[in-house]
Amino acid sequence: MAGRLSTRVRLIVALAATLVILAPIAWLWQSSLVGNSYSVMGMGYLDYGGGPSGSHDHGSQARSVNDLVVDPARKADVRVDLVAAQQGLVIGSKSVPGYTLNGTSPGPTITVREGQLVEVHLRNASVKAGITLHWHGYDVPAAMDGVAGVTQDEVAVGGEFTYRFVADQVGTYWYHSHQVSNEQVIGGLFGTLVVLPKAGRGDAVDVVATAHTYAGMKTINGAASDVKVPAKPGEQVRVRVINTDNGPIETWADTPFRVLTIDGYPINAPTEVTDRSVTVTAGGRADLGITMPSDGKPVRVQVSKGTAVVLGTGDPAPPPQPTAALDLLTYGGPTALPFDPAQANRHFDYSIGHRPGFVRGAPGLWWSINGHLYPHVPMYVVREGDIVIMHIDNHSGELHPMHLHGHHAVVLARNGVPATGSPWWIDSLNVLDGETYDIAFVANNPGIWLDHCHHLKHAAQGMVAHLMYEGVDTPYRIGGAAGNRPD
Amino acid sequence: MRTAYRVLAYVIAAVVAIQAAAIGYGVFAQLNWIDKGGTLDKATLEGSWPGSGALIFHALEGLAVFIVALALLIVSFFAKIDKGVRWAVIVLAATFVQIALGTLSHLVTASGAVHGAFALILFGLAVTAAMRVHKPSSVAEATPAQVA
Repeated sequence: MAGRLSTRVRLIVALAATLVILAPIAWLWQSSLVGNSYSVMGMGYLDYGGGPSGSHDHGSQARSVNDLVVDPARKADVRVDLVAAQQGLVIGSKSVPGYTLNGTSPGPTITVREGQLVEVHLRNASVKAGITLHWHGYDVPAAMDGVAGVTQDEVAVGGEFTYRFVADQVGTYWYHSHQVSNEQVIGGLFGTLVVLPKAGRGDAVDVVATAHTYAGMKTINGAASDVKVPAKPGEQVRVRVINTDNGPIETWADTPFRVLTIDGYPINAPTEVTDRSVTVTAGGRADLGITMPSDGKPVRVQVSKGTAVVLGTGDPAPPPQPTAALDLLTYGGPTALPFDPAQANRHFDYSIGHRPGFVRGAPGLWWSINGHLYPHVPMYVVREGDIVIMHIDNHSGELHPMHLHGHHAVVLARNGVPATGSPWWIDSLNVLDGETYDIAFVANNPGIWLDHCHHLKHAAQGMVAHLMYEGVDTPYRIGGAAGNRPD
Repeated sequence: MRTAYRVLAYVIAAVVAIQAAAIGYGVFAQLNWIDKGGTLDKATLEGSWPGSGALIFHALEGLAVFIVALALLIVSFFAKIDKGVRWAVIVLAATFVQIALGTLSHLVTASGAVHGAFALILFGLAVTAAMRVHKPSSVAEATPAQVA
């Protein structure tokens, strides 16, 4: 009898111990589920950043993101047709599965003039998962941001979508799919957007160098070989380096150069760089300015160690990689900002960590934002006209290229040290582990905008928050019948 | 339950061995690829290259070990194995330490060295736990059957 009782007690204790272990795990698992279809509007928690929260309206009075477009009556100045396909790519001597736009990867470089209205007509010929086009770094109207499930539905096979925006930002940008982006961008569904000043090209030689790694093969403009460009002694050359990968690249040259722009925005009073590389973060861009040597020597611009742009005639040896990168916090000369960050009325934290838990029901070590895992991440709420300061703090053990849609922010400080060089405008910021950044921007583009890691696999793992304007709503949903999977 | 305990403990040991094989394969596949002209930088590292699948497998399987170790602990509550719960707790704790060392190695490189060596300890602990099943229960030893 005592033995049977002892057995029962033992069983009860065992069941209780099991419950103590499994109950919290089950609760965490359940709370991580997002359902088959959900709106980003209901995700996480509202963060007003210390600003007003009075007229938060996403009901019947709210503007739909669909209404945030350029004047529909205005005729396009430039029309581009893009046809997306899922097909094999030949890179060097290898064939790899991938995607094309108009039969190539990268897709065609779209070159327009400042002020032109650009109309891009996209058709999906065969990309099974559907596609969209996001204009990376271009502060387009919200309806044109191309994020599946947030600003539109994915474009299914046979479907079409037309993007319209005014090219009012001069500089180097790119476009890519924002549907299953962690597969489609890696697979080649992207292209370059160059917006020239009204006066036209200011440089004698203008080179696009779009860097991408296809299945481990480094390329420039889709070719696994150096890009050779004719250039005469004394000519001014602009090399537009675009990093479409998930991690940063370094670029440097065997001749002094200047950094003309970062993320499309000009560097004020750039000085010559001789013994430094330039870090171009994932999704970021850097325009390098080079004066061709008067003695006729060719110039080699390394776009990472594996590939290069060779200017002029000849085949110069690869220059050794500088041991340090240019510090953009102090590069160039200071000049006045178009707004006063001291007047900021919203202060947000974007603190990046790494912790165990569940995301969408899957256990693992996941990226956290302000201590929370997706979807319980902050929804940063602003009102049009607000001045916003965001404090980014990365203690996750890895670097993250942080990308804010629809806005350009200026770097105020890194690790608490104020910026002293040219205003350093970014849409993609390389945040190393252990670093903090303070950035500021004006909330001048109403919509619902992703603020995410542009290591697109990290984004797919839930490293995505949103910036939301008061009174703006979206009818689109992640998942559901449309199959929207933005990351 | 005793069989389940033994099987789970051996599974942990086996997965640790597979983990070691995966990381070895990944490193040498990467070195061979670089020898043939491949370039590895952060941008490449975050994509795919020969050997990257093995490294991803290594990272994901770490989580699998933890889940199996958790199952071992739960099974140990019911298995009536002498010091079975104690050894399951030890294996689970060691798995946690091993994952922590691997994660920490992104910050402190030396932690990676300890992570490699600690895999041998985890392997040994898992095998030791499995071998507990063959030992007679101390409860049985304490209460011998009455003989008329």
